[in-house]
Amino acid sequence: MQKIRPAFVFDDSLNAAFLAELFEGDTIYAETVFEDFLKDLPVYWQRVEAAYNSKNLYVLGTSVHTCKTLFGYVGFTDLQEQCQQFENKCSVNNAEELRVDYILLIQRKEKAQHIIEKEYNRLRLFNEGKG
Amino acid sequence: MKTTCIIVEDIQIAADFLRKFCEKSDLVEVKGHFLNVADALEFLDREKVDLLFLDVEMPGATGFDLLDSLTYSPKIILTTSKTEYAFDAFQYHVNDYLKKPFTYKRFLEAIHKLQQQTQLQEPTPAPQQLSIAPPPPSDTDFLFIKAEDKLVKLKKDDILFLESMRDYVKFVTSAKSYITYSTLKNMEEKLIGPTFLKVHRSYIVNINKIDDIRGNTIYLLGNQIPIGKGHKEEVTIRLNIL
Repeated sequence: MQKIRPAFVFDDSLNAAFLAELFEGDTIYAETVFEDFLKDLPVYWQRVEAAYNSKNLYVLGTSVHTCKTLFGYVGFTDLQEQCQQFENKCSVNNAEELRVDYILLIQRKEKAQHIIEKEYNRLRLFNEGKG
Repeated sequence: MKTTCIIVEDIQIAADFLRKFCEKSDLVEVKGHFLNVADALEFLDREKVDLLFLDVEMPGATGFDLLDSLTYSPKIILTTSKTEYAFDAFQYHVNDYLKKPFTYKRFLEAIHKLQQQTQLQEPTPAPQQLSIAPPPPSDTDFLFIKAEDKLVKLKKDDILFLESMRDYVKFVTSAKSYITYSTLKNMEEKLIGPTFLKVHRSYIVNINKIDDIRGNTIYLLGNQIPIGKGHKEEVTIRLNIL
């Protein structure tokens, strides 16, 4: 009798319902997107850091905006919300006032990146039939 | 027939999703993907497409800047992760607004909605097609434009230049400016002749009013008009630049 392979289940911290709708069961494509995310995020995040260090709040806001979009494609819809709030603050606050929010955002980003690394490896194994 | 489109998007993952959705639907053909507004406009100068998938926040210029520079009116679907642009989207008469990231289902809804809008706009063919000759080109020295709730008579000699504002055209005279609902392309056809010259995708100038030219800028009664890359050769010929 042929065994039915269970569907891939995303990490609890991701918006699994949204990811299911976004990828429609295409775990190969999900693997590609997660891989691209891991390649692209450090590049975009460098811009965030450079903008914060130079106190260029306009560029800081637009750079966080880009990262926000990226987080959405891997199911971090709650982190998108945090990015949006930070982005909004960039237009009204100064760099010093943003310091705490910035540190919190870095912490969340580090955690998110780590989760996606794990999810990417799980997806890879799943697609190789080992997961 | 498939709808032709381009994707103007600086985030590769987002553009890849869109391309994948277009291919999957078999309704939309992607003619190109551009990471910024300047490259997209350069392409649109050479080739027209039916639809633009347009991000708003991009490095350099925004999606709205692109809309301001368009010389024809393709369908527009804005793709952005910011809901704050909804009001601007409404003002620019965009056809739909997709909040990133969006699913294939939402993408299809937008395409179907667009198709319905297009069908509504297409005139029902008459039972018997009559061959109607186009009207002869106007040789009057004036024209009427709809502006300020009336038909305003403008002497062609008084017009300094015309500026494209997407679905609108601004007529600038030395005394006043008028904005009318039309496209620069449409006006270009109406103003065909020795006096007017398109010098940029967004500008037609009255060559008799030009004061001087410095580099790629035309100076005309205190106004500065850029000369587009693709128009430089024609400007050189028409203005007898030695």
